[in-house]
Amino acid sequence: MVHALKEIHRVLKPGGILIDLRPVEENWSVEVFSSAGHQIAGRLSDLPIGVADDKAAFKAISEAESLGWFSKQKDGEFGFFYVWDTPSEMKEYIDEEWEDFEKMDEDLYRKASSLWASANADARVRVRVKMWIGTWKKK
Amino acid sequence: MKTIRDPENLEGKTLHHFVDVSNQRVLEVGCGEGRLTWKYAGASFLTVGFDPDHSALRIARADSPYALRDKVRFIQATAKQIPISKETFDIAILAWSL
Repeated sequence: MVHALKEIHRVLKPGGILIDLRPVEENWSVEVFSSAGHQIAGRLSDLPIGVADDKAAFKAISEAESLGWFSKQKDGEFGFFYVWDTPSEMKEYIDEEWEDFEKMDEDLYRKASSLWASANADARVRVRVKMWIGTWKKK
Repeated sequence: MKTIRDPENLEGKTLHHFVDVSNQRVLEVGCGEGRLTWKYAGASFLTVGFDPDHSALRIARADSPYALRDKVRFIQATAKQIPISKETFDIAILAWSL
């Protein structure tokens, strides 16, 4: 990761801006939402690989900063929603695509399914992913 | 199964809040299929997205809006060795890739 940051530093003009934009693990919430509002069914479980990846990424950018390549400008967080029509579609996606870093417990799946079944006809399900964004200026 | 990502475009709005890409040369690291690229590239002077995944890049190229074809390029590469001259870009975006 640090070598990649060195390469980015090389191709940036002096004073150029580096933006780090990525999801970070934080037991993302599972929600049922409709025109009537939204309800939180519970939270996914972070798996060790995802947590370790986050830690490594923050360590790499911190190292690049301490090496004098970049100076931090600002950072922030925002939500990024993954939306599905049904709880079963959501579960299938999570099991297939996020198997290494997020897990949906059976209890959570049942709770989401129950909320979805009793909600308005336009109800759908979503996962609120926590996103991190930071900007650095090339020194 | 259909998955909808970021229906309110909070990612694009946040990116624009953090950086002004207007008339800038932008490098996107890990552009994948170009999902994020299309949210800002129109305002840039030039956008180069790279990714090691050939299949993803093929989709990105196929999805390129006609109006952006002159200002967006996709190349297959890894961040370990970016095949681009030094001091070329004003902005580099690590898109879900660090």
